[in-house]
Amino acid sequence: MRRGIGSFLLKTAFFVLAVLGLFEILYRRGVWPIISQSALYDHKMIRLQQEPVKKVKIMAMGSSLTLYELNSEMIVHNFPLPYYNFGSWNLQVSDIYPILKELVKEYRPEYVIMCSSVGDFMKPTDSVFQNFTNTNRFIRRHFPEFFYFRDYHSLRQLFDRKENGYLIDTDPWGGAFFTMKTINRAKWDMRLDFPTPYTAIQYRTLDSLCGWLQGQKVKLVYVQAPMKASYITTPAEQATITTHFDTCRSMVEGHGGVYLNYHNTAIFADSLFFDQWHLQASGGVVLTKELVADLKTIIK
Amino acid sequence: MLFTTGPFFLFFAAFFLLYWFVFNKSIRWQNLLLLAGSYFFYAWGDGRFLVLLAGSSVLTYLLGILMGRAGVKSIAGTVLLCVGLAQGLGFLLYFKYFTSFLPLGLSFYTFKMMSYLLDIRKGKIQPTRDWVVFFSYLAFFPCLVAGPIDQPGALIPQLEKKRVFNYGQASDGMRQILWGLFKKVVIADNCGVWSGQIFGHYRELPGSALWYGAFLNAIWLYADFSGYSDMAIGYSRLIGFNVTRNFNFPFFARNIADFWRRWHISLTNWMTEYVFTPLAIYFRNYGKAGIVLAIFINFILLGMWHGPHRTFLYFGILHGCYFIPLVLRGTLNKKGRGNGFARMGTFVLVMLTFVIFRSESMHAAVGYYHRLFTTSVVARFYIEDPVFTSIVLACIVLLFAAEWLQRDKQHALQIDGVKWFPVRVLIYACLILLVLTYGPIKNADFIYIKF
Repeated sequence: MRRGIGSFLLKTAFFVLAVLGLFEILYRRGVWPIISQSALYDHKMIRLQQEPVKKVKIMAMGSSLTLYELNSEMIVHNFPLPYYNFGSWNLQVSDIYPILKELVKEYRPEYVIMCSSVGDFMKPTDSVFQNFTNTNRFIRRHFPEFFYFRDYHSLRQLFDRKENGYLIDTDPWGGAFFTMKTINRAKWDMRLDFPTPYTAIQYRTLDSLCGWLQGQKVKLVYVQAPMKASYITTPAEQATITTHFDTCRSMVEGHGGVYLNYHNTAIFADSLFFDQWHLQASGGVVLTKELVADLKTIIK
Repeated sequence: MLFTTGPFFLFFAAFFLLYWFVFNKSIRWQNLLLLAGSYFFYAWGDGRFLVLLAGSSVLTYLLGILMGRAGVKSIAGTVLLCVGLAQGLGFLLYFKYFTSFLPLGLSFYTFKMMSYLLDIRKGKIQPTRDWVVFFSYLAFFPCLVAGPIDQPGALIPQLEKKRVFNYGQASDGMRQILWGLFKKVVIADNCGVWSGQIFGHYRELPGSALWYGAFLNAIWLYADFSGYSDMAIGYSRLIGFNVTRNFNFPFFARNIADFWRRWHISLTNWMTEYVFTPLAIYFRNYGKAGIVLAIFINFILLGMWHGPHRTFLYFGILHGCYFIPLVLRGTLNKKGRGNGFARMGTFVLVMLTFVIFRSESMHAAVGYYHRLFTTSVVARFYIEDPVFTSIVLACIVLLFAAEWLQRDKQHALQIDGVKWFPVRVLIYACLILLVLTYGPIKNADFIYIKF
């Protein structure tokens, strides 16, 4: 019996190794696994495994607002602490929280900067983002090829992502400027429809996030990103965002965090914006300049 | 845990090694591992209904023993049988018709449970005293969630014997798994997405697109369910079991009776043995009308087994109607070679019934039929990715060509006749590459898991 099963296992192993070998070749040729629907998130997470960031004392984490609106060079130039921007597209607060927990455990930062706005409080959680952080750190670091098999994606999809997935060049600290040439204006400039049915859960998550960071003795710097003046026009819209600001402020400050609100239409004119809340590169510089001035009293 | 997911492959690899290398000392240990593995498989993701499975197993096991003690034909034996059947049918009816959720595999293990009690009653089997054997029979994981529905006389004796690894059986099992994967991932999942889009927008599409959608829908149902069955049989063979064949190339059937001898064979056999045959005997004095009546009741129940939607009921009725000419001409059980036209005609008839099966309501099904036969059948229609679609259509041709050539075999990839190893390796490699390359955008569940 043993000889029969030995031969069977040998032949099976031959095919299994051939498949594994194929994926190893793909990985080495840059056809990376698909972890989430965000090509940038996947790219960033896998690149972090290949070129690990050793120390991070100031961690920027959040959605596209964190990614685009913090000028890395200005932060690095002004603060002598190791800095990295982990921000990525499409993340809601409830997506950010579990990822942040994992990143904080891994890097033990002293400060977390989260640049955010109402857009981070509008959609349901997408648990796919946690596929990465929920995976054992050793596997993540040494065998990112595991993600080819965690969720099935055909080779056709993998090549399609490599060829057509929209990627941006991040700076050495993970940040980027908004350089998209064409966008779907109808989608990006849509009117404020806030709060949504998912806002309450996003607020609860923010509260938990702030409390958890406090427990970890990590200082949260919550940056309320500016919004385009022409986007907030009616008194009702003004009241909505004021309520949002107050809610976030009370949660952040209630857990010992720092709340900084840069929604100032006098400083951030409409011309600095790309859409209703994403700043262009020049807008990012203005925001970071303001932020750096405030951070100097916080980051010692 | 789906057969096509990473966690299942890991689970099965660990189970296989434990089964053949650690728990192979005695039949008792093998069965205990099988039972533990089956319960683990069932509870993966949502363990709420494991209690139902275990509870049903306990009840049926005790009823079987008590029936044996009381005498199967005695009044007490009859009462015990009725209790078992009432429990099985009651749960089936309750969960299928009165709740919005259905415990995984309920339809399948309930039928196994009922056939166990009915076979004891008929004297075909003796009640088993070994609870591990009986529990393993009901929970046998390769067939737990979507069949095949093995009858106790076929599976329990295999559980009572120590399994010894058989190289030929295992390697053929692997081939059948690979063939099932190809059918599921390359063909079923893609056809399911495309036909779903056509069924979802049938009002705006020309008749030609609807015929295309009906064709893809039939292929989807077949490739999905038979692909699942191939994998279930393959995994069973890897651990030393031979389970009931569920499909015998049904789209090559010569007529509708032949189709049902080839499609979902384990359910058809079950219905024939426990529903149709007793009914046919009961109505024997009514001649052909009695047979038609028995067929209708059989198919109505078979349709209703799928769920509470009226579409399933009409699906069963339509199939019952297809039988009438065969009964009237007396060719119900006639075996012959049949010609291409007969096979093609049977396929088209079956394909049309699958339109009802897929539609959300009878209203939608009638609307689909209406457009199928009244709007242009030669109009051009838009296909999103023609190159990829052509590749999948070529794979469908490959599927049918392989199945036609191998129609005398258990499955299309039974190529042990190909003696030269490199050729076999090349065939396997091509199939693996197709599975890896041409899967769908999103992995889909197996359709019959929902029943």
